[in-house]
Amino acid sequence: MSVALRQRLARRAVLLAGVLLCGGFAPGWAYETDVVAVVSQQAGVVTLVDAVAASVLAAINVPRVPAAIAADPAGRRLYVTHPDLGLVSRIDVAGRRVEASFSVGKEPFGITVIEGGRTLLVSDWSDDALIRVNAATGRETGRVAVGKSPAGLVVDESAGRAYVADRESDQVSVVDIATLRRVATVATGRAPFALALSPDGRELYVANVQSNELSIIDTATDREAARIRIGLMPYGVAVTGDGARVAVTSQQSGKVAVLDRASRQVVAGMKVGEYPEGALITASGRLVVASWADDSLCIAELRASPPACDAQVMVPAGPRMMAPLAP
Amino acid sequence: MLRRLLIASGLLLASLLSCLLPAAAHGPTPQRADETIVIEAPADQVWKLVSAFGSIGDWHPLVKKVAVTGGDAAGGERTLTLAKGDVTEGLDEVDPGARRISYRLLKENVEAIPVSFYTATIEVKPTGAGSEVTWSARFYRADTTNEPPEELNDAAAIAAMTDFIKQGLAGLKAKAAGK
Repeated sequence: MSVALRQRLARRAVLLAGVLLCGGFAPGWAYETDVVAVVSQQAGVVTLVDAVAASVLAAINVPRVPAAIAADPAGRRLYVTHPDLGLVSRIDVAGRRVEASFSVGKEPFGITVIEGGRTLLVSDWSDDALIRVNAATGRETGRVAVGKSPAGLVVDESAGRAYVADRESDQVSVVDIATLRRVATVATGRAPFALALSPDGRELYVANVQSNELSIIDTATDREAARIRIGLMPYGVAVTGDGARVAVTSQQSGKVAVLDRASRQVVAGMKVGEYPEGALITASGRLVVASWADDSLCIAELRASPPACDAQVMVPAGPRMMAPLAP
Repeated sequence: MLRRLLIASGLLLASLLSCLLPAAAHGPTPQRADETIVIEAPADQVWKLVSAFGSIGDWHPLVKKVAVTGGDAAGGERTLTLAKGDVTEGLDEVDPGARRISYRLLKENVEAIPVSFYTATIEVKPTGAGSEVTWSARFYRADTTNEPPEELNDAAAIAAMTDFIKQGLAGLKAKAAGK
């Protein structure tokens, strides 16, 4: 064994011991950093935030009025929609810059990355369509009509399905990704906006902004299985890695509700900043909430009882949506 | 006769316009207005005025008339008659402990106020012998397409909401001081 290798292994052992000692939050030690990309709509900036250290790693200027964001699986590229400009921007994460912007549809809004980073799916707010785009060239390769004002978008690639929240049609469209055909529509509450899937793909959670509820959709039957009262203007949804808990932001109540999947009951609530919108749960189990009017993120340990913002990170004006970045 | 004809054609134009505009559509770019005023009256007294949802006409100078259904509890609605038309708002939440009300626009009228949707919150906090009132709103421009005309764009929406809030706070202050 070379000296260099021995030193490297020793360093790794020390690092591992240190991480194990301060552990306690499962799944634990593998995650030394949880990087989250945050879109600040007013400022036109994407901020990379380390959710473990609660610190800003980088601020990347993007074209104006950015909305939704998605990362490729390797964490090398971020894609940001600009509905007002009809653009999607591609960010080179290592280079901390926008490397390309391309025209997509009329008002591209929701976005997700599929096929290992090769393809994007984009919802078009004013063209009422889900558009498939080549991630390298920015060229449209197909589209399917969905309901009115499609917003949030999630995919279950193992099932070959995409789910789109058709905000002004009060429904979710289910699209077969391979054929780009709509295979079902599921009625929800009023103005569905944000979506999240359980890790097993069996339940889809839908935040109904205007009717103040969370719809739970059974994806085996494509029917709404339950509708749960949350708070005023639910705008963001996130699911824990084990699928046991669902966090929902209530923008006008300034709160997060935590739902237990098994009992379908709200089991905890916490006050966060003013106008909380986007929510996500990082690989290490931290809840990150973007407070649009406070220009800050609240970072909370969901398992704590009661949960509370343990750390606050200031970001440029108007944070709304976020995406986790692979390490 | 000529006057009546003018009014009729104006109404026709307004209704044509409202067909062309996206009804109840909420564009993806929200805007914000947020104003605070200090009032030399106890917080409880100011809260009494603010929490009387159907009585905004008593103190807001831009509100000509109010029609109320459902009272001052969550679920209540009020139709405000402004200089250029009516808008209807719904009361979402009343929190007497925090002295805060939250409400939203139910029926838009971009002629009356050039926004397509808003939620708003008014909060009264005690400060010394007086109170501090914060009124914030989150809203979308009237025309949520990508090329809105000047009178229906983000700037017009921000200007109108900010003015509505500022004049409201000034009216509230005057009303509270008059007691």
